[in-house]
Amino acid sequence: MTGMISRTADRGTKENLGARIRRLSLRYPPLVTLALIILVCIVVGSINPSFWEVSNLFDMTRSSVVRGLFALGVLVVLASGGLDVSFTAIAALVMYAITMLVTDWMPNMPIAVILVIAAAGGALLGAANGVLVSLLKAPALIVTIGTQYVIRGFLLTFVGTALFMNIPNSMDAFGKYPLFHYTGANGAVATLPAYVLVLLVAAVVTWYLLKRTLMGRAIFAVGGSPHIAERLGYSLRTVRICVFAYAGLLAGIAGIMHVASNRLANPFDLAGSELEVIAAVILGGARITGGSGSVIGTMLGVILITLVNNVLILVGIPSTWQLAIIGAFIILAGVLFSVGRKR
Amino acid sequence: MSLPTQADIPLAKGQNPSVPFLEVRNLQKRFGGVKALKGVSFTIERGRTYHLMGENGCGKSTLIKIISGAQSADSGELIINGKLEKSLTPIGALAAGIETVYQDLSLLPNLSVAENVALTRQLVASGGSLARRLDVKALKQTATSALEAVNLPTDPEFLATPVEELPIATRQLIAIARAIASHAGLVIMDEPTTALTRREVDNLIDVVGKLHAQGVSVLFVTHKLEECKAIGGSAIIMRDGLKVAECDVAGQTKTQFGFLMTGKKLDDKRYRTAPHGGEERLSIKALGRSGGFSDVSFTLARGEILGLTGLLDSGRNELALALAGVAPADRGRITLSGAELILRSPTDAIEAGIGYVPEDRLSEGLFLEKSIRENIIVAVLDRLRGKLGLVNRERSRALAQQTIADLQVATPDIDNPVMSLSGGNQQRVLIGRWLTINPKLLILHGPTVGVDVGSKDTIFRIIQKLAADGMGVIIISDDLPELLQNCDRISVMRKGVIAATFDAETVEEEALYQSMISEDAPELQK
Repeated sequence: MTGMISRTADRGTKENLGARIRRLSLRYPPLVTLALIILVCIVVGSINPSFWEVSNLFDMTRSSVVRGLFALGVLVVLASGGLDVSFTAIAALVMYAITMLVTDWMPNMPIAVILVIAAAGGALLGAANGVLVSLLKAPALIVTIGTQYVIRGFLLTFVGTALFMNIPNSMDAFGKYPLFHYTGANGAVATLPAYVLVLLVAAVVTWYLLKRTLMGRAIFAVGGSPHIAERLGYSLRTVRICVFAYAGLLAGIAGIMHVASNRLANPFDLAGSELEVIAAVILGGARITGGSGSVIGTMLGVILITLVNNVLILVGIPSTWQLAIIGAFIILAGVLFSVGRKR
Repeated sequence: MSLPTQADIPLAKGQNPSVPFLEVRNLQKRFGGVKALKGVSFTIERGRTYHLMGENGCGKSTLIKIISGAQSADSGELIINGKLEKSLTPIGALAAGIETVYQDLSLLPNLSVAENVALTRQLVASGGSLARRLDVKALKQTATSALEAVNLPTDPEFLATPVEELPIATRQLIAIARAIASHAGLVIMDEPTTALTRREVDNLIDVVGKLHAQGVSVLFVTHKLEECKAIGGSAIIMRDGLKVAECDVAGQTKTQFGFLMTGKKLDDKRYRTAPHGGEERLSIKALGRSGGFSDVSFTLARGEILGLTGLLDSGRNELALALAGVAPADRGRITLSGAELILRSPTDAIEAGIGYVPEDRLSEGLFLEKSIRENIIVAVLDRLRGKLGLVNRERSRALAQQTIADLQVATPDIDNPVMSLSGGNQQRVLIGRWLTINPKLLILHGPTVGVDVGSKDTIFRIIQKLAADGMGVIIISDDLPELLQNCDRISVMRKGVIAATFDAETVEEEALYQSMISEDAPELQK
């Protein structure tokens, strides 16, 4: 009796391999991302074995950190059904203002305090996004395009446009502090900096927030259907303010990581990388319409984008082709994830 | 560790058995100039079944919204568990033990079965605050015991399945499981049976019995008289914002209910009277689609009405979609008026003269925010093209006016959005759209789902008139009385094939039902 009403129409017909792969990739989209990563690794690695050199792997890990922090923020906002494009502007403002503040006023401020201030500043700016979105009942994309311009304009008009070449000591030291040294066969030393752990911690915290708190479930509920979620007693305003504040918080931290790893603070940096970050999250299996996505998928999406950005040069493909390849991957992911859903 | 069984589910919390669960006293509500509720009072005792009945617009939806905290009354009192509730919010109503299962089921499509069933309880426990740890273990336990109570599976794979992947009937049970999981004292079900087949209705009746055993009351909001009678309990009948009667369901006939709800006399007479012409219109030979249905053959004469029924997984929906070109058949032949058809898309079907009125008019049929006129003309835009390829306004207005006049759609203005119409009128607009293509064959899928008694009568008359004019009609429905009243023949599908065909004039409803649920391997009718 229950058999009849349990699952989707299951007529006992044998699934062929293609159908099964599609069903699996639909249920666990990160598998597709993983497959693409493995494909790229195998292709690039077999053409140019230096791809597998530890120094190259360390390089890629390092350059994933800022993108990864941004992507986690985008994931949380996207899961709630919104879209944030202001995070790069928030990161730029926070990193530049704090670098300036620390250099000019308290050059010996410890890195922990700097990170806390950056997180708080970013969260505050993000919360403003959330308040605007829920107050104006406007689409998040429109609101954050607006705030992106406002924040960037404010930064360049009132804070400054000059480069900081000499960043504060604590930030410089943080950027250099090693986690691993690896001495290659030719005697060259590759270093993995400790700050990559920040991304790891952020990923675990985001996972916990999404999977193990009522807020996390509320974020997905609102992303699935705001009207029904509201009827069931979830507060849309709380959810919206929280997701944007969280994305802002991560953006603030990402700003500091950017300064620490590049050893300079340029107010014009980071602008224009929004779509690439959103692409990483989508490649990780999150739907652009909200209500889905996972931390593991997002991290895989970030790895994939970083791979394509970094390794094509190793196989002699002009770097201008990166964009086209990323684009092709996004279209592929879009096709795979949407075709199956229509059934 | 053994999981709790349904016996372990505590009774509705805060129970004080000496007072009724809910007392509604003299509720009044006005929207603008319209009085939706003109002073309604009734009492819901514990562990009993009630049916709130009435035609569209009688005020029953407003009443439900007030009881569930979604709207507030202008005056009157709500007393829950002996306590006067002054300003009820949705979460307050849940906390007080009132769970409402709306027609859309209020399920979150992207969340898992377990979450849909058990999250509400944790949310209510936290008072709506989100800064809480999610208790994953408790979530699973709550979900498991509630799902057991409604006879759904409890394996980890099912618990983790997103609700959007499940058929509507299962979702229904999940919504009911949620009510059980949140310790409801009263479960309000807004038209719960519109999407269920007979066997699932039987299951629902079973579930209602289990709810009663736990002291939970159930209030059904419904149009379906047969099901009220099958489920039993008391009827609260409303008309024009007033309670006109409260009586035992068993003691009343359908005709009496119809009279109370509409103020008009209705009966379950057979609408189908005139015999059909005999000349063949449609012939289907060995039609099939993998995973859907196979070896379906039948013919339909000019002016004949064929009923098609079966359980949800019998293949009848797939057959309908194949004839409509939505999900094309992959083998077999379709001949309409002597010409063999190849239907690869809905456009092919429309061009061949096949009109398909889908089951779910809200999501598959109508453009709710668009005007009645635009909804009617959308299938024949080509024909209405005037200068510069634009739609000719006068001709489109004339066509829309003619159609709503033919179908007796009650509206002051054809430029009003379809949304502004009642269910019965919306359905007539949808039928009207397909009449504009002058179909040779009209397929009606659940033509009176969510339509009230008075409107049903009009729709049936329209169907009979269309057949009398020579159109071939196929009605696909779970509503067996509807098929018996309207068809010449009724075919029952089972496991993807036509298992039996009956003469609608002589067959008994029970025989049809038995044929639907029979487990026997159907013999092919060649």
